[in-house]
Amino acid sequence: MSTSTPLTPLKAPAKAPEPIDPVFRQVRDLVYKVCGIFQLEEKLYLMADACGRRMKAVGAKTPRDYWDLLTANASREAELRQLLNEVTIGETCLFRSQPQLDALRNVILPELVQDNSKQIIKRLRIWSAGCSTGEESYTLAMTLLEESERLLKGWTIEILATDLNDRSVETAKAGIYGDYALRSTPELFKRKYFSKVDDKRLQVRPEVQKLVSFSRLNLQDDSKMLFMKGMDLIFCCNVLIYFDGPSKSKVINHYYSNLNFGGYFFLGTSESLLNLNDKFRLVHFPGAIAYWKPSLKSGSL
Amino acid sequence: MTKSAAATLEERVGQIETTPSIPTIFLPLLNLLNLPPERVKLDEVVKLVSYDNTIAAQCLRVASSPLFGLAKSPDSIRAAVISLGLRRVETILLTCCLGNAFPTENWPLDPTTFWKHSLGCAMVCRKFSEKLATGDSDKAYMAGLLHDIGFMVNCIAFPKEFAAAAAHAAQEQIPFDQAERATMGFTHCETGRELAQKWHLSDDLVQVIAYHHSPKESQGHRPLAALVHLSDLLCRMRGMGYGYYERQKVDLMSDPAWAILLAEHKSLADMDMALFSFQMDEAVEEVSELVATIFGAAKAKN
Repeated sequence: MSTSTPLTPLKAPAKAPEPIDPVFRQVRDLVYKVCGIFQLEEKLYLMADACGRRMKAVGAKTPRDYWDLLTANASREAELRQLLNEVTIGETCLFRSQPQLDALRNVILPELVQDNSKQIIKRLRIWSAGCSTGEESYTLAMTLLEESERLLKGWTIEILATDLNDRSVETAKAGIYGDYALRSTPELFKRKYFSKVDDKRLQVRPEVQKLVSFSRLNLQDDSKMLFMKGMDLIFCCNVLIYFDGPSKSKVINHYYSNLNFGGYFFLGTSESLLNLNDKFRLVHFPGAIAYWKPSLKSGSL
Repeated sequence: MTKSAAATLEERVGQIETTPSIPTIFLPLLNLLNLPPERVKLDEVVKLVSYDNTIAAQCLRVASSPLFGLAKSPDSIRAAVISLGLRRVETILLTCCLGNAFPTENWPLDPTTFWKHSLGCAMVCRKFSEKLATGDSDKAYMAGLLHDIGFMVNCIAFPKEFAAAAAHAAQEQIPFDQAERATMGFTHCETGRELAQKWHLSDDLVQVIAYHHSPKESQGHRPLAALVHLSDLLCRMRGMGYGYYERQKVDLMSDPAWAILLAEHKSLADMDMALFSFQMDEAVEEVSELVATIFGAAKAKN
């Protein structure tokens, strides 16, 4: 399917301050086709900026030259990876996707709690895969803590957070964040779940840290992946975009078997599985999509 | 629904037809919209637009808005129609007609929210239909634009009951038709159908209006009703809903409408629905702007 035609004929040509080179739209479509990450038309300037920085770095004079570099066999993979780094730069922060969290609290948790209500051990297992410096993992922990006296009363919450990078994992364990990472964190959460380190930084409180265990894991290590069993939820945001097709398929298959029936897998807000797996079911929530491993009783296997 | 309730419904909807506020051009416009595009004559459209001052002003305003990025504002209705293009003029006309016909003070919903949903759904229907190559994307557009016309009927004929239904929907965060059924005993599908029949809309549009929440029940127009049903759900999940949080999981592929559409259009199986959803987000802002432009001055007047 082509991504080049905008959804609606009602385009506003005069809206953009300066016209964006159509090559960047081609780059946007290529990035989606290869990596599954989508850039909105109105955010196309971000793609143009990212390309601009890469063009400077590699000495490409025109967008067309850069396109040639991106599509030449010898350089495409390495350059695409560099470009993705530029595109996703600065995206990491706590409470990055409120619609995902709303779906989790309002729709998914009630469903999981009801589905598992007959089990003796009431336990919720969540995996934050490719957790980087821990922002997502703690966000999930705080969101679930908000339900600990209601929906999740009597439930044990386990959040496993893994990343390939040792240094990220160490930073994550410390749980100290500055203004930029905290820019989307509601005041209420800041007061409730953080303590002050100094003028500029806050640290996640022990009761939040207690829910999350960080460790190093390579998603391409098949033997280790087999052990990550019994998950109710897996979050893997803007990580798979760096994998080539076959590796991505393999990781997704692992995720599918790691999940319990009825469990959910979340990607980044504008990231798609590119129809790479037909066992997962794409489901919609207000403002968010997720991939669902249908429950046994849903009869839709 | 009981017999007496059905009679009340028919009677109350019947009164709407005599409402003086329906613009004179409305029915001729609908006839024009049912023609294949090559048979629509520019002069007829210009005549229709010029007939009603309010609508003419709205068309000029939309044509001069930055949304269309024209180099200079059109100085005549004719110039406005030419610069906007016939298809777009038809949409604007229809939206203005319906928007003006129904008073804004009775709305339990914000009218701009309603129009964002209707116009958004129309665009999604058209795009969906193009992707599936159904062959009649203009029809899909019309169907999307009119599918919730029963809301307007409810605003006029059942203002109190409808306000209660809207409050119930928002309070319980449930789909609107469920809330209507629970509080009023009928939905906008039934009242919309009454009105659509009175207006002699074509049968496929009547069927969509009546069965966009239950496409299986449609007689003879299931695929179109299914397409509108799925587009409607997607709109509500992607920021073009009724203005409240709908607490639900939408699993398109296990919806009966999916199977209906798939039986008709095999290419549905290969559609990247995640991408389609992301692309929808691009429409949200534009739809909002268009609605604001059309109703901007009318709103200021009130």
